[in-house]
Amino acid sequence: MHDSRNTLTSDSAIAPLPPAPSQAQAARARWRKRARKLAPYAFISPFFILFAVFGLFPLLFSIWLSLHQWDAPAGLAAMHWVGLENYWYALTDPWFSKSLLTTLWFAVASGVPQHLVALPLAFLIHTTLKRSRNFVVGAYFVPYITSSVAVALIFTTLFSKDFGVINAILPGPPIDWLGDAFWARITVAIVVFWRYLGWNVVLYLSALQVIPGDLYEAATLDGASRWQQFRHVALPLLRPMMFFAITLTLIGNLQLFEEPFILIPPDSGLAIDVMTTAMFMYRMAFSDGDFGTASAVSWLLFFLIAALTYGNARLFGKEGTGDVAR
Amino acid sequence: MSHAERLTPSRVMTLALVGAGVVLLAAPFWFTFVFATQARADIFRSPPPLWFGTHFLSNVQLLLERLPFWRNLGMSLYVATMTTALNLLLCALAGYAFAVHEFAGKKILFALVVGSMMLPSFLNMIPTFLVMDLFGWIDTPRALYVPGAAGALGIFLMRQYIGSAIPRDLIDAARMDGCGELRTFWSVVMPLCGPALGTLGLITFINAWNNFVGPLVVMHNADDYTVPLALRSMQSPNNTEWGALMAGSAIAMLPLLVAFVFSARRLVAGLTAGAVRG
Amino acid sequence: MPEGAVSRMVALAAAALAATAASAATTITVATFPDLDRAAKAALPRWHAAHPDIDVKIVSLQYLDHHTAMTTALATGSGLPDVMAIDFRYIGKFAGSGGFDDLNQPPYNAGALRSQFVPYTFVQATNAAGQLAALPADIGPGTLLYRTDLIAKAGLTEADLTRSWDSFIAAGVKLKAATGACLVAESTEILDILLRSDLKDGQGLYFDRSGKVLVDSPRFVHAFEVGRAAQKAGISADATLWTNEWVADLRSNKIAGQMMGAWLAGHLKNWLAPDTAGKWRSAPLPAGAYASYGGSFYAIPRRAAHKVEGFEFARFMTADVQSQVNSLRTLDTFPALLAAQQDPIIDEPMPFLGGQKARELWRELASKVPLIPVDKYDAMATDVIRAEFQNVVKRGKDIHLALADAKDLIEHRARR
Repeated sequence: MHDSRNTLTSDSAIAPLPPAPSQAQAARARWRKRARKLAPYAFISPFFILFAVFGLFPLLFSIWLSLHQWDAPAGLAAMHWVGLENYWYALTDPWFSKSLLTTLWFAVASGVPQHLVALPLAFLIHTTLKRSRNFVVGAYFVPYITSSVAVALIFTTLFSKDFGVINAILPGPPIDWLGDAFWARITVAIVVFWRYLGWNVVLYLSALQVIPGDLYEAATLDGASRWQQFRHVALPLLRPMMFFAITLTLIGNLQLFEEPFILIPPDSGLAIDVMTTAMFMYRMAFSDGDFGTASAVSWLLFFLIAALTYGNARLFGKEGTGDVAR
Repeated sequence: MSHAERLTPSRVMTLALVGAGVVLLAAPFWFTFVFATQARADIFRSPPPLWFGTHFLSNVQLLLERLPFWRNLGMSLYVATMTTALNLLLCALAGYAFAVHEFAGKKILFALVVGSMMLPSFLNMIPTFLVMDLFGWIDTPRALYVPGAAGALGIFLMRQYIGSAIPRDLIDAARMDGCGELRTFWSVVMPLCGPALGTLGLITFINAWNNFVGPLVVMHNADDYTVPLALRSMQSPNNTEWGALMAGSAIAMLPLLVAFVFSARRLVAGLTAGAVRG
Repeated sequence: MPEGAVSRMVALAAAALAATAASAATTITVATFPDLDRAAKAALPRWHAAHPDIDVKIVSLQYLDHHTAMTTALATGSGLPDVMAIDFRYIGKFAGSGGFDDLNQPPYNAGALRSQFVPYTFVQATNAAGQLAALPADIGPGTLLYRTDLIAKAGLTEADLTRSWDSFIAAGVKLKAATGACLVAESTEILDILLRSDLKDGQGLYFDRSGKVLVDSPRFVHAFEVGRAAQKAGISADATLWTNEWVADLRSNKIAGQMMGAWLAGHLKNWLAPDTAGKWRSAPLPAGAYASYGGSFYAIPRRAAHKVEGFEFARFMTADVQSQVNSLRTLDTFPALLAAQQDPIIDEPMPFLGGQKARELWRELASKVPLIPVDKYDAMATDVIRAEFQNVVKRGKDIHLALADAKDLIEHRARR
């Protein structure tokens, strides 16, 4: 065995050369080299095998379906070919374009505050709270684990126009949070923000653990204020996690379905005003009975998400993506 | 970071802000438990009740009359635990490979992984059902935890974390010491992934727990429903027993709280700084 | 042994075997949703007494989940129950899908049962090809439930509410001035009733026989106009149904009238506004309108495993007087079976409605509902019309423009 290396430097020119390998050692070294080449494929194969079995078929089915018109209850044999007509049909549907705008609005209105608040909040919690840290993080995280059923009931109670706590606290005339189109969207955005703020705080907190303490100490010695430490020490090192968290927010918000669905009943007059593209897709499939168009819409949405995610990746650049392999 | 815990003005303000946030964010959670102890007619009082009532036991009794609730809890626990355990292992493996190795097709394969997260999934109900039916996995828990055993989200998270938090030197050193890839992964990298594993474990557990579309497609027996599906099955368009439903929701959230407390210790524990110092 | 004897013995043995096989227990699966599942569960003891060899497994899911799961099962032909409960909102779509057995045909011959049920229910369950896809389990005859104490306080009578729409709106204004209470929860209620008023048998709601969209007809214009007038007159509480607002308004004397299926009376009594007991009455809908709110059906999927036994169960739940009466007792659902509507329970005074024998009224109302066929795009058309109505009422959109837009959208959507 070689001398143990207590000094972990990458400057191997200083270390003594190992003795010439024997036959067995050479074979082992070759095997290890091949294993190292194959290892990544072996390590990622569980995902791809599972994907091939459980993800690929639904994916291909969905593409196939998007080229047919299908009223599902009539059975599989009832599909008939329409080519790209479903895509055209969706793109020319006024509710589709409305839903796209609504979806993008939600993405920005709830996504941007999520991160603007979560980042400094995580930093604050990380740097100032010791004993109460777990409790506070828990309280912020709790929205994520509250069941949808409870969320629906409780938020409609809290935001009730005449009897809700929110209107009781706020000055001025009561706001029709759940009955007016404008305010309903804001209510939904608030609920989404509420739901995912803690998740982002947790993500950023876990990334903050990795930043060595002496970096902050060095900054303090240099006279940096807390804000400056946040901006110049923490933020740059948080970029990989920011990329991750923002990508997730992007993907999640563009697929937003649950929060508007549970807050605004689907048969109320407001339903169209808070309809996201995912809800439009659901309606196409289960209300209009048009599974083919619903699949086409899901692919249109996919392209949108992919495009925006790609743009996001470009924005964050190489170091943002956490790619350290050389 | 060592600040003495004194009440400086900025600290007071921080506490106030954070405290206000805690109240606002935890309020609905609070209300779930309050409503769980109220009778249905009282939940719709105006103003709604702010403190606990006396109906918890009768709500639970009604819940148990309507649902095989403990069985549903058991099924949820089983499925969520299996999903989490598998995810932690398989996603860490894949994330490690993507972060540390260079191999042909890496960029494309990773793009596929991330891309798979962008497909809206509830349209997959019908093809998923066909696949499960083909395998004969209908009404089995396997159908619930196997498909998601190596989630794209987990791979993405682990790659980000390992790529940015585990120093390359450590891995090089291990290799030079003669460690095979698996050994490097298991003995050197994994122990340092505490925060990421804690986060991933928590998120996976919660997502698996709350998923109701999977069980809706695959489970055709009330005994085999997971908790979200079971609680939903108690909802009626005009006549939901809200008190019992809230009691069920409250009980169902407790394992998630436990999971959070369990992983919080890993999350907020610092890195072993020793490995990084030069 | 002589040949004839051998073959006779074989025949006897075969018959004996068949008889044993037939008496072995079969289990049928009934897929349903709350609250209908409770009616089925409550009927099980009587069912087992009558059919000891047929076990029933009841699978119940939330309303939307159930119909989603059934859509999946119908689409794939697998995982189908033997009896499927279907709600009114989905009956048009499912009946038109061809996934169910035509109950008019042997071995069901349910056409013979037609005269035993409220006529419009069979029309709802029959698809465009004339196939009977389901049996009706319960109905929701439309009624106007109103607060007699508040009406009296404003110096009004029931006749003022029901004589005509003009008098209804005028009464609402007077009521608001005298007591601050509203006569409707939301003006969409008026819209829905008006759209269904004066329809002749066989006339479609949104589509006619050939599939033409009818939403720009005078019927719709009139309905929109009256709805808008009601909103302008301020008689609507603007409370979305089943929200806290609505419940609170019911309890605090803010809503003095609610047009709904008759089953609402039971809910009001049980939990919505129990303290207002005795103060409500049930009246026919204004201006001689007759409408049905909801309803449930039982259907037999074409690819189910035990169809004959399943049909037995469906018939047990729908055509058996005792089952129907028990449903009424447990769930306040109104029977679709005419014979059940003659049961003494119908003549009981209802304390919540101040002792009124409302069920007799509901029986009469049910018999007058016109036979409106359902179309599989009805649910979609309802959503479009509601959305446009909101535009008219909340954003002042011109009615003709709104209906023209609605027509365009519905035509775009209803691809045949």
